[in-house]
Amino acid sequence: MMSIKHKLARLKGHIARNEPTHQDETQVSSPAKTGDETIPYFERWLDFGVKPFFFDGEYCLIREVVYPLDYRHGQYHLGELHDVCSMWQQAPFTHPLSSKGHEVSDLFFFDTETTGLGSGTGHVIFLLGHARVYSDRVVVRQHFLPNPGAEIALYQSFLSEVDYTTLVTYNGKAFDWPKLKTRHTLIRDTVPKLPAFGHFDLYHAARRMWKQKLESVRLANVEKEILGIEREHDIPGFLAPMMYFDFLSTPHPERIFGVLQHNEMDILSLITLYIHLSKQILEANEMGGTLEQFETARWFAALGEINAAKEVYEHVAESDMQESIKAKWNLSLLYKKEKRYEEAVEIWKDLFQHSNDSLKMKAATELAKAYEHYFRKIEEAYNYAIQSYEIWKSLVRTYKQKDEEQEYELIKRINRLKRKMKT
Amino acid sequence: MMKKKSLSELIEELRGNPNVIYWYEIEPQEAKTVPMPDTIDQRLRKALEQRGIAALYTHQYSAYEAIQEGKNIVAVTPTASGKTLCYNLPVLQAIAEDENSRALYLFPTKALAQDQKSELNEIIEEIGIPINSYTYDGDTAPSIRQKIRKAGHIVITNPDMLHSAILPHHTKWVSLFENLKYVVIDELHTYRGVFGSHVANVIRRLKRICRFYGSNPQFICTSATIANPKELAENLTGEPMALIDNNGAPRGRKHFVFYNPPVINKPLNIRKSATVEVNHLAKEFLKNHVQTIVFARSRVRVEVILSHIQELVKDELGPKTIRGYRGGYLPKQRREIEKGLRSGEIIGVVSTNALELGVDIGQLQVCIMTGYPGTVASTWQQAGRAGRRHGDSLIIMVASSAPMDQYIVQHPEYFFNRSPESARINPDNLIILVDHLKCAAYELPFRKGEKFGHIEVDEIMEFLAEQRVLHYSGGKWHWMNESFPAHNISLRSASQENVVIIDISNTANHKVIGEMDRFSAMTLLHEEAIYLHEGVQYQVEKLDWEEKKAYVREVNVEYFTDANLAVQLKVLEEDKAEERNFVRLHYGDVTVNALPTIFKKIKLSTFENIGSGPIHLPEEELHTSSTWIDFSEDVFPLGTQTIEQVLMGISNVLSNLVPVFVMCDRGDVHVVPQIKAAHSGLPTIFLYDRYPGGIGLSEEVFKRYDEIMREVKKVIESCPCDKGCPSCIGVIEEATDNIKQTILAFLDKLV
Repeated sequence: MMSIKHKLARLKGHIARNEPTHQDETQVSSPAKTGDETIPYFERWLDFGVKPFFFDGEYCLIREVVYPLDYRHGQYHLGELHDVCSMWQQAPFTHPLSSKGHEVSDLFFFDTETTGLGSGTGHVIFLLGHARVYSDRVVVRQHFLPNPGAEIALYQSFLSEVDYTTLVTYNGKAFDWPKLKTRHTLIRDTVPKLPAFGHFDLYHAARRMWKQKLESVRLANVEKEILGIEREHDIPGFLAPMMYFDFLSTPHPERIFGVLQHNEMDILSLITLYIHLSKQILEANEMGGTLEQFETARWFAALGEINAAKEVYEHVAESDMQESIKAKWNLSLLYKKEKRYEEAVEIWKDLFQHSNDSLKMKAATELAKAYEHYFRKIEEAYNYAIQSYEIWKSLVRTYKQKDEEQEYELIKRINRLKRKMKT
Repeated sequence: MMKKKSLSELIEELRGNPNVIYWYEIEPQEAKTVPMPDTIDQRLRKALEQRGIAALYTHQYSAYEAIQEGKNIVAVTPTASGKTLCYNLPVLQAIAEDENSRALYLFPTKALAQDQKSELNEIIEEIGIPINSYTYDGDTAPSIRQKIRKAGHIVITNPDMLHSAILPHHTKWVSLFENLKYVVIDELHTYRGVFGSHVANVIRRLKRICRFYGSNPQFICTSATIANPKELAENLTGEPMALIDNNGAPRGRKHFVFYNPPVINKPLNIRKSATVEVNHLAKEFLKNHVQTIVFARSRVRVEVILSHIQELVKDELGPKTIRGYRGGYLPKQRREIEKGLRSGEIIGVVSTNALELGVDIGQLQVCIMTGYPGTVASTWQQAGRAGRRHGDSLIIMVASSAPMDQYIVQHPEYFFNRSPESARINPDNLIILVDHLKCAAYELPFRKGEKFGHIEVDEIMEFLAEQRVLHYSGGKWHWMNESFPAHNISLRSASQENVVIIDISNTANHKVIGEMDRFSAMTLLHEEAIYLHEGVQYQVEKLDWEEKKAYVREVNVEYFTDANLAVQLKVLEEDKAEERNFVRLHYGDVTVNALPTIFKKIKLSTFENIGSGPIHLPEEELHTSSTWIDFSEDVFPLGTQTIEQVLMGISNVLSNLVPVFVMCDRGDVHVVPQIKAAHSGLPTIFLYDRYPGGIGLSEEVFKRYDEIMREVKKVIESCPCDKGCPSCIGVIEEATDNIKQTILAFLDKLV
């Protein structure tokens, strides 16, 4: 009879068909030891500023790095977080990124490294990193899982020592937090409960701001293109799982230290990004970038912060960038909603004179509507309706595309106005 | 217009038909009922009464009582006997008693799950208790998934979803797993072979997760008639089972008729084609508007019969009232056909065994089988499609010239006295087991010494750790890989990817019309193959093997195609060997290399070979288990050519008989004769499982060798032909005149 080992070897082709194997052939070393025994390469960990945290016979590793407030990361000092937070306190509007009502040190900049991107139960978080900005310093703390059997120690240390209320992440809503919940569920009876969090997900803000401008809104790309952060000798995030697997086979700190540094950089970037986004929103008109201003205004409008939106739109409308026309149009619609037709008409007339055909047509249509229903000047309304239809026809000729519904509406208006003029 | 005949008139006419060689009547049965138990919740009792259920059939009562006693049960019930109440009653009762109770229903297909949800929701509405029952499958909208996970009392799904979506995400299903009281497994008999072996492992994983959350669910299974429902249920769930088989449902009279087409070529013992006879029989019923189902063995045969019947009755009925049904149709099409059958808009349906399953198509009046379906169990399943609770129904089995068919119709006592076959699974098939151990380790780490089902797995865990898929630490093996193992493991077939079939007849509008597993595609979707879909002929223009796409174009030709597969066998390791007269019997592991070589074009009307062509596809390699029989030299005082013919003759009978004995599909065990086997130089017949690692079929052949060989001899002896025919040893090209006698003499020595 063939032994199981033997059969496994023979059927290997069928069995190992899907998992990538690591080419590293260094010998598999002894597994990590429990609290009473030695931690492999303990001295080296100490050199890296890492200390163990023991719990119930297991341990995890904690690394702490302290930065001064005037440490510069990209275009800001980390301490500028204090400035933007006090600006939020005074801001006349509400906003999803507003830290109003929170202490600066409540903000908990948070990022994880995992063994896989799937959302199932089989991928582990092996590094939980966070940073908080205090009145005199910035503290980055990382909780590292030295082997997959030590999760209880990891979450014990992570959940018991910190008292945080507000998470700041990059795509944490969809990734890090659900992942954390999954891992926590598995050991929920032995570790403290997961708190209910407030959550600033900067990924969504970044997407709003820069989706048009950037090819990709991955954090690395935002750092480079927007925040002026250059990383040297950085390990790309996608290699982290592989490096962790390697580390497990030979648990030498040098094998994984690069991932810890990568995570540390990510967290510092979250601080810089939060400062930048806050300024972009709070001081929209002082900050450069009409695209960002325009998107900020649109965000305000979507939130119902109409005054804030108008203020920024007005600023963009005055510029000579291409966003100016779009801003004028959006602004006019806000005026219309408030029944401030004089201001709206002024913009529409301007757009009717100076913009592209499709906006011209829309402006003419709006003017026709305003003159018909609000000012009750039927003749002027009729003129704009006719012009709107003319532009529509030339657009159809140019683009060879026709929206029948739209044509029907235009003709209906012209006919109605004709009838009204006769009476 | 002619007056339409009734079913009883048609039955009387059939009695006079000279080709009817056996007529069996199953007496009607009165209902056997028991009053509704007092313990049942008042609201539930009332709702059932409103649906006309004031008492329980005996089997429903026994099921309910056994479950209340805490037993796991398997209920064996024929079609339309109210089997769903066997599980719905205890489940609804449990939720009525405690709203935290949860139940998980498993159906082998999405369609069956949908059916069940509608039925269940009707009852729930009448009960008036807020019970949430949902289907959870690939079609479930993301917006309600969260609600189902948290608040679904009854989650209705299929094993594939459980395997790839629910178990790997168990932390999102805490309230289900903490409170799981019942796991319902409907259509238990479908979980056999490869699929069953996979599902048994999925259930091992399910139980492991339940233990983690502190629940210990009872299993409620229902099955069609098979020989070993209790054994199968126990193997599948790893739990002791109570068998419930005291069916108390009423049924009307059934006529079961064996029909043997007349011999048209005496010396070769060739009979008129079963397909042609089926066409004419079906036409009689259909034009009298008697709802009829026709079963055919293959997808190709379904399409051939469908097109003929549609042609025959086109003056009486539109093409929409007679439909085909088989795997490869898209789900939407199938739903539409099922609905049409229930409502009576569709009068005739031609199907493969796809409709053997409990898909709800109502009860039809007539069932016609084109040939013996291959197993006793399957025959009864198909026969169950005809039959109403009251009134007569008719089942006609039209025999083909195949040896098994002839054997069955000429020995009706064999069929009617024989208990149906056993369904076998081999959850411990190493490849399947390792696949699921990976998934299980992904779901929760394995403790050293932890068992999976009854299996010790440390050795396999160590192997996976060496493969760097798992990592051992703190006395546990942890998943340490970036991949998501369940995604790469399909429960349904040996081959992992399906070939998509794309119709390019309309250049501007290419569309996907179906799909097929890779192994079948080698012989059915090679370039120039004629592929039939819904009665329409397509020719394969291009098969992109890398991308797994077959491009087909509609054609209209007078032939179909049939491909040859060349097979090489190497013995890797021998596990068992036994001596018989002049024969050594072996069981062990082999490597099979299969290469499709050529295809033949065969004329539809006469089955003549009218041309052929090569197939260019890469070789497929398979490691599997096999039983092989080698013959000692002294039993063969014969020339090489004769030896070859003897082996071919016996193999032909074996390939027809073996599926009967081990309950599998014809393609599941391959029989390959070799004059000089590579490993021994001896004349040998190999029988191997077509699935990597084997699923226990050829091992069963090894165990039952003597019985099987006796039957082989009986089949050849009892065949009325002179020199061999397709019904026994097959038509052997350039056969020596007395080949049939030579084989019989040869078998005399063996048996």
